[in-house]
Amino acid sequence: MKNEKHTNFSVAHKKYLKRLKKDSFIIIFFRIFVLVAFIGLWELLTQIGVLDSFFTSSPSRIIKQIIVLAKNGTLVSHSLITLYETLVGFAIATILGYVIAILLWWNEKVRKIFEPYIVVLNSLPKIALGPVIILWVGAGTKAIVLMCVLICIVITTMTMLSAFMSVENGQILLLKSMGANKFQIFLKLVLPASMPDFISVLKINVGMSWVGSIMGEYLTSKAGLGYLIVYGGQIFKIDLVMASTTILCVLAFGMYYLVSLLERKYRK
Amino acid sequence: MNEILKFKDVKYFYQTKTDEIFALNNINFQIEREEFVSIVGPSGCGKTTLLSLTAGLLKPSSGEILFEEQNKTDPSKIGYMFQRDYLFDWRSVWKNITLGIEIQKPKDKEEKLAKADELLKKYGLYSFKDLKPRSLSGGMRQRVALIRTLAVEPELLLLDEPFSALDFQTRIEVCDDVYSIIKNEHKTALLVTHDISEALSMSDKIIVLSSRPASVKDVIYPNLSGKTPLEKRESTKFPTLFNKIWSELTNEK
Repeated sequence: MKNEKHTNFSVAHKKYLKRLKKDSFIIIFFRIFVLVAFIGLWELLTQIGVLDSFFTSSPSRIIKQIIVLAKNGTLVSHSLITLYETLVGFAIATILGYVIAILLWWNEKVRKIFEPYIVVLNSLPKIALGPVIILWVGAGTKAIVLMCVLICIVITTMTMLSAFMSVENGQILLLKSMGANKFQIFLKLVLPASMPDFISVLKINVGMSWVGSIMGEYLTSKAGLGYLIVYGGQIFKIDLVMASTTILCVLAFGMYYLVSLLERKYRK
Repeated sequence: MNEILKFKDVKYFYQTKTDEIFALNNINFQIEREEFVSIVGPSGCGKTTLLSLTAGLLKPSSGEILFEEQNKTDPSKIGYMFQRDYLFDWRSVWKNITLGIEIQKPKDKEEKLAKADELLKKYGLYSFKDLKPRSLSGGMRQRVALIRTLAVEPELLLLDEPFSALDFQTRIEVCDDVYSIIKNEHKTALLVTHDISEALSMSDKIIVLSSRPASVKDVIYPNLSGKTPLEKRESTKFPTLFNKIWSELTNEK
């Protein structure tokens, strides 16, 4: 039965649609209002001197700073460095974490052996490994990417493993009764069934990989947005700190948006 | 008629950390080709274990299971239909139905796909071919599950209470459908159920099991008049046989 799309709605239905429209208008209006009010108030309070823009910067000064950075080319070069570190860390952690999850799913004994280690690794604040990482791979990009990978990989493995394990046992039996081998069970059932969890892993990793790369740059770097933030803090140039943070926000949101596009495409 | 499945002195124990459960005790029976056989028994007596053994998902602790006179099961010749439909949400109806063919990669793949297509048309599901299972009703989902089981063209169908998740009216309807589909396609079926009237209305032969450890208590040939399960329920012999099986099952407790 296909529902005919009918056009002559009842009065009640029209009212209902009208209310829906009104509600969504209110939500969007206040969303924008909060942002505008926040920026406006910030600007106003610094202009009249309630807030000291030396400590808090101000929206106009941030914009000026971004223009300066854009003109002398540092905006693009520093952003690209951090973006590169983040994307590489994100990709390595996601792929490696996924593969480890498959191996653990595949073999029950291996899974049971490594389970406690994964739990401990998950609760360990990875930033504590910072000094060790620098000793191992040296200061610079490698250390930053490694930090990023460490932060993302454990949560990737844990989430994917629990998604693999929660596949309906009856569906596995069904495939077994058809004579499927373990590889086919993974490919035809476990992989597609865990796709929604994979997308949420991607979303988590977008956030976590930025944490990783900025943390890494705090520890050791000569370039990148994290470096600009630390540098700005050291020379008391809050405008630079705020400008870099703003750019960071935009980049992180962009990456998140790409993942949500992927999600929408998958849902179709 | 020749036999397709034979259980010879089959015993089965479930092993757990703290216990050993004696599920099946010296099960002996056989099924002829194109026969519709039901297994009834008190709940928890090991009916599903019996099907799992037949499908090769479990191995008997002792005794032999012969399928077409061979001591091994061939997944492409046995179709297992479960209590729940277990349709894959992310696959269309068509992709669900052809799952078994995809797994088994038979040599005559094209013919089997054509046959699956024909089954869909024949049983009124063709227009839903490209829809996802979530837009189907419970009865239709169960019909899709049956066609998925039939698509690999098995010799023997194992039905594990396939109607128990449906409401009463749908249950009677789907029961009729499934019966006529199985008879039309000349398949052999082994149905496990706790519903005596369902067993009576569908089967050529009913195997009554005792409670755990289960053994074959009685074999009944209902031989009721009527063409469909619904008509068979009207048969005069129906209540007598119902009471007979009922007392056999309740005497257990």
